[in-house]
Amino acid sequence: MDSAAPGLSGAWRFWALLPLLLLVGVVAVFAARGSSLLDLVGRAPPPADQFDIRRVEFAPGEIRIRVTNPQRPKLTIATVTVDDGVVPFRLDGPRELGRLRSSTIIVPFQWVEDDPYTVGVTSSTGIQTTFDVPAAVETRGPSPKGFLGYALIGFLVGIVPVALGLGWLPSLRNAGARWIVTFMALTAGLLSFLALDALVEALDLQAGLPSGFQGPGLILLGVAASYLVLTFVSQRFSAAGGRDRGAPLEGVALATLVAIGIGLHNLGEGLAIGSSIAIGELALGTFLIVGFMVHNVTEGLGIAAPIADGARVRVVRLAVLAVVAGGPAILGAWIGGFITSDVLGVLFFALAVGAALQVVVEVVRYVARRAPGGLRSGHVIGGYLAGIAVMYVTGLLVA
Amino acid sequence: MAVPTHAAMTGDEAPAPGGPNALDALLYPPPALPHKPGRVREYNVAAADRELEVASGVFFSGWTYNGTAPGPVIRATEDDILRVNFTNGGSHPHTIHFHGIHPSDMDGVFEIVEPGGSFTYEFPARPYGMQLYHCHSTPLKKHIAKGLYGAFIIDPPEPRRPAQELVMVLNGFDTDGDGENNFYGVNGPAFYYAKYPIRVRRSQTVRIYLANLTEFDPINSFHLHGDFFRYYPTGSSDHFEYTDTVMLCQGQRGIVEIDFANTGRFMFHAHQSEFTELGWMGFFEVVD
Repeated sequence: MDSAAPGLSGAWRFWALLPLLLLVGVVAVFAARGSSLLDLVGRAPPPADQFDIRRVEFAPGEIRIRVTNPQRPKLTIATVTVDDGVVPFRLDGPRELGRLRSSTIIVPFQWVEDDPYTVGVTSSTGIQTTFDVPAAVETRGPSPKGFLGYALIGFLVGIVPVALGLGWLPSLRNAGARWIVTFMALTAGLLSFLALDALVEALDLQAGLPSGFQGPGLILLGVAASYLVLTFVSQRFSAAGGRDRGAPLEGVALATLVAIGIGLHNLGEGLAIGSSIAIGELALGTFLIVGFMVHNVTEGLGIAAPIADGARVRVVRLAVLAVVAGGPAILGAWIGGFITSDVLGVLFFALAVGAALQVVVEVVRYVARRAPGGLRSGHVIGGYLAGIAVMYVTGLLVA
Repeated sequence: MAVPTHAAMTGDEAPAPGGPNALDALLYPPPALPHKPGRVREYNVAAADRELEVASGVFFSGWTYNGTAPGPVIRATEDDILRVNFTNGGSHPHTIHFHGIHPSDMDGVFEIVEPGGSFTYEFPARPYGMQLYHCHSTPLKKHIAKGLYGAFIIDPPEPRRPAQELVMVLNGFDTDGDGENNFYGVNGPAFYYAKYPIRVRRSQTVRIYLANLTEFDPINSFHLHGDFFRYYPTGSSDHFEYTDTVMLCQGQRGIVEIDFANTGRFMFHAHQSEFTELGWMGFFEVVD
């Protein structure tokens, strides 16, 4: 039989297609006859015909409403109301929306600053979808000033605290091995906190998405992708360091991995801050910025700890680490501030979850090998719990 | 051009469905006939389920008399014998309940007409005034909200002064079934008379047979800009009030008589701003 194998070896590809071809056939038959089959078991209820109002923006003399059709049947925009009054409008996009298609409704309207508004969009079937705006605030479009503003916010909440946290490096260098592993355990604790925090953000955000986007699946995809890609990267780091591929990371390589994990988290955080500011949900106070700075300063400590007992590291390299960890906050703020996409938000937070978890695993492996008493030592347990506690307490500033 | 605002959408800015003369049969009543006791006035009314365009691009699964909501204007002179041949072509049991004086077995409450069935209402028309009719099947709220109502004019034995006669039935449509009206209008669709102003002459009295059949909201109202009018509650006596705003609960009605002092475009609307902005507004185009 072996002699026949070479001839058949390529044929498996063809036979693999067979179930797909059969599926196409069955689908075609069902599509032609299916409705009469469904009539046997009942009648489908009418579609909900609710729009998904994604974003309401205010410009001088104008309200812009971004709507999406979340359902399978088409949905037609018929009338628009502001505070229960029918208003004239024009459309940037189609009037009849296919599944998951969007349009922007532009309403000429003299709105009152800081007043609450309820906007409504009525479908051709008479179903009205409403959206409450707690306070009308002008939405700034993309401008050099806005670009700079979001960059500054991202810089302040991302790069600055990480850089400040790296300032612990000299004192860490003089600390004993016990203290180093304590701080590494603390890093694992704070990354665990960030992972859970990002997961909750992702779950919250996906709950608002039309079900067609399959939020939970998107989260799983994001978490798995970032976890596995970082696993792959850390293996490469090990290999590049001339060590066994499976060996735990340490030194700059581990610090870089921690920075990447934190960076992905800050991308999501920046996006959340940026979009909240853009749609007027977030009071942009000094207090909040300070809160994020305090909250994030421990992230710098997490990056500093792995390099504390190794060779000296040049300042440029430290700066790069700070940018890797903090810079994504700027990118996130831009995306959140100027682009409407809860889907991106969910994905970014999911990526942050996977990255943080992967880095926790790496750090734990490091600690397991380096801690004088192993993972069960009081220093490690205390450090881990302290990491969570520090994030919790500083989190009170931004909650 | 100025930025259009919703306060005064006129002409093509008004998001109303239908063509320029689409509602003429509901706006202009059939002529009054002289007093002749015992004369039979016969009308055929059929209930029918209809998709109604109640605002621009918005369709509502309505229940109608003769295909429109409100239904046809029924008119008789006092002491005429009114005969209404009612057939139910709809999918639910319906009746016609007339306001006025009539025997209890002609009241449209007990003699429920099943789908496919029919019933003839016959009684002397009285008293004179602006009456109305509507379905009295239960659930009452649903049958009225769906569109089963209309104007019923009984003319006095002594004819009224000649006038330009109009009928206005105030109504609303709850298109998403949440128990609140999404749109309001006169004789049907929202903003209709904002898009197509009603042309009247200044030289002759304008007489409006006005009735409120709005469901869900406790009251509705009629307000005229730029002038005053005589309002005869129910139109069954000579008693009138001189005003520019009247308030009506559901089923309340009366006769409005306007002698326009000026030519030009004058707005009329509910003096509930919400109703106005949801479609209950219109204009008179007063010409010499």
